[in-house]
Amino acid sequence: AVRTKLAKPLGDSGQKPESENFVDETSDIEDLLKEEEDHEEESCPTETSGALKWKDDLSRKAAEAFLRQQQATPNLRKLIYGTVTEDNEEEDGDAPEELGGLFRVSQPGRACKHKADSLDCSRFLVEAPHDWDLEEVVNSIRDCFVTGKWEEDKDAAKILAEDEE
Amino acid sequence: MATQAHSLSYAGCNFLRQRLVLSTLSGRPVKIRRIRARDDNPGLRDFEASFIRLLDKITNGSRIEINQTGTTLYYQPGLLYGGSVEHDCSVLRGIGYYLEALLCLAPFMKQPLKIVLRGVTNDQVDPSVDVLKATALPLLKQFGIDGESFELKILRRGMPPGGGGEVLFSCPVRKVLKPVQLTDPGKIKRIRGMAYSVRVSPQMANRIVDSARSILNKFIPDIYIYTDHMKGVNSGKSPGFGLSLVAETTNGTYLSAELASNPQGQGAAVLPEDLGRNCARLLLEEIYRGGCVDSTNQSLALLLMTLGQQDVSKVLLGPLSPYTIEFLRHLKSFFQIMFKIETKPCVEELKGGDKVLMTCVGIGFSNLSKTLK
Repeated sequence: AVRTKLAKPLGDSGQKPESENFVDETSDIEDLLKEEEDHEEESCPTETSGALKWKDDLSRKAAEAFLRQQQATPNLRKLIYGTVTEDNEEEDGDAPEELGGLFRVSQPGRACKHKADSLDCSRFLVEAPHDWDLEEVVNSIRDCFVTGKWEEDKDAAKILAEDEE
Repeated sequence: MATQAHSLSYAGCNFLRQRLVLSTLSGRPVKIRRIRARDDNPGLRDFEASFIRLLDKITNGSRIEINQTGTTLYYQPGLLYGGSVEHDCSVLRGIGYYLEALLCLAPFMKQPLKIVLRGVTNDQVDPSVDVLKATALPLLKQFGIDGESFELKILRRGMPPGGGGEVLFSCPVRKVLKPVQLTDPGKIKRIRGMAYSVRVSPQMANRIVDSARSILNKFIPDIYIYTDHMKGVNSGKSPGFGLSLVAETTNGTYLSAELASNPQGQGAAVLPEDLGRNCARLLLEEIYRGGCVDSTNQSLALLLMTLGQQDVSKVLLGPLSPYTIEFLRHLKSFFQIMFKIETKPCVEELKGGDKVLMTCVGIGFSNLSKTLK
């Protein structure tokens, strides 16, 4: 049962819209809960004590939690590792258009070919700069500085006040 | 040949450095074909040839084969040797181009690397030596690469197109790297900078400082921008000026931004006031992206995490740069390692854009060629 649960949502996650996924997931969980009940009924008689019950199905519960988290976030992993742009030998041989049986039309190539010969540079250029004269843009990084608001547990004034109490 | 079977094959000259660096570290030969094959001027450029020569200098027993037109490169890595080396870099790219690769390789040499690089220290394309000194060195220290011999010194400053700069880089060797947990960048406590000018009026640097401060003062009062005006033979062969800014956080994260003037004879003249203001805005963009590692050093951090001991490493990054994304793919093909990638949206907090948490288990790489004393 674990295998099928694992395989199904993974395969779907790419194509289906969010809402469908959500429905899918909830029904999945319901199924799982039902199964769990069945499982408990089966396993209870053989169990000597209830103390070790939490250890049942640990791997399945972990897998389930993992899948839930995977679906909630956009899949960067798939974006990065999904399509590996490696050198294909076959690319050269794909349907050469010939003119008069003598010349081959040299195609300027697709976007990926252009990328293959572009500048090798590690700098990450800013494509859409913010307007730093606007108050709301300035405020969006306000708390990155020590002068901004601190988290509850790190706020110096708060910690001092607590110490005095 | 047996080794030929294990070689990885790529097309195009893009990402040449990361391919050759990862090949050297993993010991897998690499073959790169169709290098500018459709260009009017095909094959490897001078700066790439210079990079390959540099790799040849710091390794022992590398085999490099380039075909007649320079469109195909076969590289079978040797052992990283190190020692005292001098290298004349091409002036077409900055010294940063070469230094970035050396930062990846230097900790794994047999002898500690001590290298003098000559060329362009600051240009508009590559990370400058100033920025690498301020951001990459503290990052390497987090991984346990430290010591008194660990330094990066600018002896002479050189701007394009003439160059004439000189840099000394020395790095100790380590057998193993420490795993890191860089998940909280902390808050920015100060901003430091370096406004430099060579072969122009020293007043240029002061004008840059004033305009950059006028923007940054709204955020934090602790700003100090050093001015650096090198003279005579130390100022290289071409005039120019520029600014690099670094924001330092309470947890030891360094975020940087930089700008340089147009090279002599190329493009319109740049006003130092505009350069200072634009550079300050770039730093704000970098702060908006955020994370525990500067956007130029993302790939260096990921590499050192991969090569760490067999333990979990975590690092929080800003949005991944295209260079880093390709680097992750390369890490997968050379070291069979895949990162766990989680997006951390920053919605209600005023802390800039979304962040990405990268997690991996190190492959337990150890530097076997390091001599025991």
